[in-house]
Amino acid sequence: MEDITLKNLWKAQDEKLDRAMKLNLFMLESMQKQKAASKLNGLARLKLFAVILGIVWSLFLGVLVYGNQLQNMYFTVSAGMIILITIAATVAYIRHIVLIKELDYSQNITDTQKKLARLQASTFNNRFILLQTPFYTTWFWSTEMIQASVTKFCLIAVPITLLFTVLTIWLFKNLTPLKMHKQWVSYLLKNDPEQKPVIQAQKFLHDLEEFKTSP
Amino acid sequence: MQNNKEEFLERIEAHKPIIYKICNSYCKNRYNRDDLAQEILYQLWKSYSHFNHTVKFSTWMYRVALNVAITFYRKTKTGQDIIHLAEPDIEIEDNTEDAGELEKNISTLQQCINELKELDKALMILYLEEKSYSEISEILGITDTNVATRISRIKDKIKQKFSILNN
Repeated sequence: MEDITLKNLWKAQDEKLDRAMKLNLFMLESMQKQKAASKLNGLARLKLFAVILGIVWSLFLGVLVYGNQLQNMYFTVSAGMIILITIAATVAYIRHIVLIKELDYSQNITDTQKKLARLQASTFNNRFILLQTPFYTTWFWSTEMIQASVTKFCLIAVPITLLFTVLTIWLFKNLTPLKMHKQWVSYLLKNDPEQKPVIQAQKFLHDLEEFKTSP
Repeated sequence: MQNNKEEFLERIEAHKPIIYKICNSYCKNRYNRDDLAQEILYQLWKSYSHFNHTVKFSTWMYRVALNVAITFYRKTKTGQDIIHLAEPDIEIEDNTEDAGELEKNISTLQQCINELKELDKALMILYLEEKSYSEISEILGITDTNVATRISRIKDKIKQKFSILNN
């Protein structure tokens, strides 16, 4: 089979293609209005909502920390860590919004598709948000509370915090596509409808890298 | 704005086959194909104000259309748009022996293209459209050498498939 034959076959197919599809060239303005509420814009709106929530939450905690005037170190450290992680997440979401707004389909295929796949895969990259969980179990600690009942504190509060810390670190380390070979990770991620496109995006990113680099 | 729109519509009218070919290659479901065609048209119109006239219009159009098609394909391939490889897409009315052979070969070529991954499919469409290696590399964002090597590999696979089916 010669190259020329393949090209001739392609041309022969071309003459018989479906040309009946609706290409409505006169509806561009109304299409523009309809598409204003497209899925990608929806994603940007969702991220914008998360950014606003992150800013409000960080400010609220900031005011509380300021009002506390370092009187309770447990609260200051816990709230401080939550603020730091929330700010990092907010910055990540702002970057996603910029990425969505900058998406340009007229750029080359590999770069545009990489941006899109990275956006889809961002759930995994933002799993550091999980790390704030243990601090929600320590913010109400105080020297008075510990002194009032050391035994209760050691038997209830400390184990709960330790449990959350271990669980959070374990989830952070394991809930990644790199651990997909583990049955429970695979089961958890594959059965989560929200994670399915994320996993596909990760696989596509790998394909893109391979497509771009390996001759 | 009106002049811009008229100019756009004229250019699209002249290059419409690009949209047909890409839609037919990435979408086997008739209804999805209509949606994809409209989506491509919309994205072309949206990007037209940034169209850089130093680039060939067809190159720009291939970039937008292929980007939209690959994104659409990735969204729909999880079950909604099942491709029935055994069934040829094209109906050919001629009943002569040559036409039968042609139909079989077109069907085999379709199967081969359908089985390619989305990026290789884009590469092969551009090759079959007789684009130069440098133009293909400009559209896809990969090197000329990569284009040449990948095309050669895909062609070898297609030829192999043809020889298996014809023997």
